[in-house]
Formats: sequence, structure tokens, C-alpha cells
Amino acid sequence: MSAIAEPVPVTLRAPRRTRTTSALATLARRRAALTASNPRQILVPLIGPALLALVVAPALTIATGGLHSHIDYEAFVGVGAVGLVVPLSCIFAGLSVIVDRHNGAQRELLAAPVPRSYLVLGNLAVALVLSALQVIVLIGLSALRGGVFHITAHGVAWFAGAALLFTVFMYGVAETLASRIRSQEEYVGAVPAVAILPFFLAGALFPITAMPGWLTTIAKFLPLTHALALMRYAFVDPSGKGLHDIWGMSNVTIEAWLSLAVVALFAVALTTISIRMFSRSAVS
Amino acid sequence: MHAIEAQGLRKTYPGGVEAVKGIDFEVSEGEVFGLLGPNGAGKSTTVGMLTTTIVPTAGTARLVGHDVARSPLLARSVSSVVFQEAVVDRGLTGRTNLELHTRLWGVPPERAKRRTTELIEALGLSELIDRLVATYSGGERRRLEIARALCSEPQVLFLDEPTVGLDPRIRHELLDVIAGLRARDDLTILVTTHYLDEAQRLCDRVAIIHEGSVVALDSPQALLARLGREILEFRVDGSPHLALATLRDRGIAAEDAFAIGARITVPLHRHAATEALAAIESERLRVSEIATRVPNLDDVYLQLTGGEVREAA
Repeated sequence: MSAIAEPVPVTLRAPRRTRTTSALATLARRRAALTASNPRQILVPLIGPALLALVVAPALTIATGGLHSHIDYEAFVGVGAVGLVVPLSCIFAGLSVIVDRHNGAQRELLAAPVPRSYLVLGNLAVALVLSALQVIVLIGLSALRGGVFHITAHGVAWFAGAALLFTVFMYGVAETLASRIRSQEEYVGAVPAVAILPFFLAGALFPITAMPGWLTTIAKFLPLTHALALMRYAFVDPSGKGLHDIWGMSNVTIEAWLSLAVVALFAVALTTISIRMFSRSAVS
Repeated sequence: MHAIEAQGLRKTYPGGVEAVKGIDFEVSEGEVFGLLGPNGAGKSTTVGMLTTTIVPTAGTARLVGHDVARSPLLARSVSSVVFQEAVVDRGLTGRTNLELHTRLWGVPPERAKRRTTELIEALGLSELIDRLVATYSGGERRRLEIARALCSEPQVLFLDEPTVGLDPRIRHELLDVIAGLRARDDLTILVTTHYLDEAQRLCDRVAIIHEGSVVALDSPQALLARLGREILEFRVDGSPHLALATLRDRGIAAEDAFAIGARITVPLHRHAATEALAAIESERLRVSEIATRVPNLDDVYLQLTGGEVREAA
């Protein structure tokens, strides 16, 4: 049995190395093109939150008189709705990972000469852009409906930082779930626990101090609570009452940095976990 | 150094399923090498390990000298694969699929543009290339996948069951395309298949895989030569093993004659068919469906393993 062929000198060509930015841009471009071909992925996550901002918040303001404070309730809920649109958008994005796996496209990407982490990061880039657009639309709708926002350059920086880090965290959750859960049906079944439950506990519709003490304590450990408090500090309530409800300090700037650090920590942790889970589960 | 080297490659899946049980082979640059075996033999798993999409349980593999476990990025950069299932993005156009591939493989833009233009022309994709892949037929999709795999100018190309599921006309067209790739001196091709005509037509050497192990490895011609120029086949009414023993006692059947169920296959080697038929008659064996023919790789496989390469209809 001639198992060994006569060795012929192999014509060595220097292997091509794909630049990091080029690889990430290409992967992001692919994901963006596929997302654009499926408008539902862009519009559906907006529907619920938009209804919250346009219908529910004004109705609740009329029905309850709002927060009975200096904080405009419609703007308060407008920001709270961000806590729903970002998770839903990221969950949809994670669904695309499962679709890639089922239709075989993931195998082609796994055979590409790029680190496996880039497959996650490329998708994350698109999730960030998409979420940013959806958040802008949501805040815009809320403002048009009558929400009172105090927009400053300083506020935009805080808002963007909080929203960006929260999106990174949520995409990490979505990607981790997509690596663990093999079927689309099971994955969608995780939406209530991942997106809906935190929304109700994190102060999206009312301050966390309005809940029983033990729930308020739980809320303080949720990254969404910190993200919402930061975003309201940025655009709705410069006094930072939401941050004060969490930290109880006298210096709102320190409270803001602490909350940003919490969201950042969760973002880094879930991104790391999601990359590890993807790398392990994608290759058998 | 060979273009592909596999040493003791082994894969055991969770649950103890041993898909590949220690495979060794080397493939020279420019060679077309076939892995032939039925579904479940371990061919796709072997390709998976060589393309780093499956982690080997044991053993080593190198592509153009790059260890697939230690230098996976380098190994992937010199290779390309056409998987058994269609993996092109259906929501994108053919052209976008090609462009994405060249960028991921780091092909400089000008070169990528030239290369994709050449391949679109060579593979007859000009009229399709700007349509969504979802509108392509199976054969068109497969041609696009081959174009995509080639546009990064790989040194090693893996074709995993490239014609499975295609109708006969498209299969033959695609085989022509793949055969045309042989003309490229610097391209090494490893093709897995359970179609005998593919293996015989395309491959310089073939490894026959059975239940995760290589049971024979040689050129198709050499493998077939083992069985001689002609074989006699018939069905026997009664004990096939007794019939085989009788023919062996008469010196008609050698050790390589075999029985699968009631069907007996006898490589004739230096004997004439008439001689064999006379022996069958004189021994009063009750036989039917007697035929002589040229041996094929299925006979080689059957003789080695007792199973068939082709799926049962």
C-alpha cells in the first residue's frame, strides 16, 4: 500500500495574513448586508419600546400624574424603553448566529484564516450600530411626543458610554445563549428571562426605590439598572437621582463613574465568555 | 515536505463514537487525492480535522508545513474548502460572496478583482453573479462555491462530496470543471466522495476508508489491477461459501474472491471466463445472473470490507 507519495518540493508561497481591521470590517459588512436584507430584524425590536414611549408613558403620566418630581415622566420612560429595545435587538442578532450555524455559513467562516473571536466581534459591531440607530429613533420619538430631554455634550458622552457598554453586554448575553442553545425555538424561549424580566426590575418604568426593599437590592446588581440611571443622568435628570438610589453617595459624578464601571465590567465579562463559548461550541 | 500530511489522525466524539481511528497519508503538491468510502466512513470528519473545523482527538496534520493545531491561522490561510452542504450566503449576491471571501483571506483588492473576474468567466457564472444566491439552482450554487474557494488562490483545496445531491447532467458538468482544476500545477486537491466514477476520473491516488480507517491507498489503476482485468459475478442458490470453497479447490477462485450474501465475485486473473463457467457447470452449482465485467472500485471496496461504497437505492 503506497501510503507515502514521492515527496515533491512544495512551492512555498508566503501565507497571506489578513489585517485585523480588514477582517473585522469584512465580517461586519457581511452581517450588515444580511441584516439589511431582513428589515424585520431592524424594525421589530422597535415596536414595543416605541409603543411604550409614544402611548404608555403619556397615558401613565395622565393616569398617575407622573413621578411627582422635577423629572419628566415621558422622558423617564423614553429612556427606560432603551432598556427593552437594546436587549430585543441583541437577541435578534444572536438569532442570526443560530441561523448561520444551521444553514452552514458558519463553517465557511470557521475555515477562514481569522481568529474565531473576530466572528463574534464582527457581529457585535453591527449590533452596536443597529442598536444605536434604534435608540436614536426611540429617543427622537419620545421627544416628539413631548418628552423633555436636557441634551448637552457632556450628557451625550455619558449616554453614549452607557448605551454602548450596555449593548456590548447584551450582545455578549445573546451570543453566549446562541452558542449554548442549538434551536431557534429554545433560543426565543429565553427572551422573557433575558430581556423582559430585567426590564421590569431595573427601573425602566419607575424608580427602583418604588419596589420592595429586597427587589431594590436585586435591581442594584443588574447592569441595566446602572445603564438606565446613567442615561437618565445624561439626558433627563442632571441631579442623578437614579444614581443616588443605587449608590447613596453625595457626589453624583463619582456615582456615575461607578455605574459606568459596573456596566463596563459586565460588558467585558460577557464578551469574554461569549467568545470562549463560541470558540468551543463552534468547533466539534 | 508534502502539501498535506496526516499522521495518526483520530477523532472520537462525545459518547465514544470513533469516527476516525488513526489515519495516515501524505499528498504531494499538485496531486489530486481522493478519500473514497460510504457515508459515515469518516471522510468529512477527516476533512474537518484538516480544515480546523473539527478538533482531532489525537494525531497531527499539516498543510504546506503548517500544523493545523499549532498554527491554525496559517494552515487556513493556505487552504480553502468546498463543504458538502451549500454554505454560501443566500441573502447576498454571488459577487458579494466572492468579495467577502477574498477579503477574509487577505487577497489584495486589485488581485482579488482580477481573480474573481477570471473565475466568474471560467465557471460560467457571468449571468448569475449579480443575482441573489437564493435564486441559484443547486449546480449553480456549487459552481459559485468552487469559484469562491479558488478566488483566494489556495495551495490546498478540499472538496467534500462536491457533486452529491446534483442531478447526473450537472454532476458531469461539475466533474469537468473539477477535472479542469487538475491543470493547475500548484494546486493540491483532496476530494472526498462515495461516487466511484469521480474517484476513478479525478484522482491520482485514492484512499479507501472503511469505518474510520484507511484499508487501501494507491492509484485507482493499481487498486483495480489487484482484481485483474475481468471479474465473474453470479448469484448462487445454496451456500455461497460452499460454492466459493469449491471454486477455490478447482483453482478458479483465489483468495481475493468473495461472497456478499448470495452474490459471488471472482476475479479471474489468468483464467478465462469459459473456464470458470465450465467449472461451475461441472460442479453442478445452481447459479443465476452470471455476468463478466471490468472490475471497479466498488469491487475493491467489497473485497476489502464486505460492504458497498454506493448507498443502497
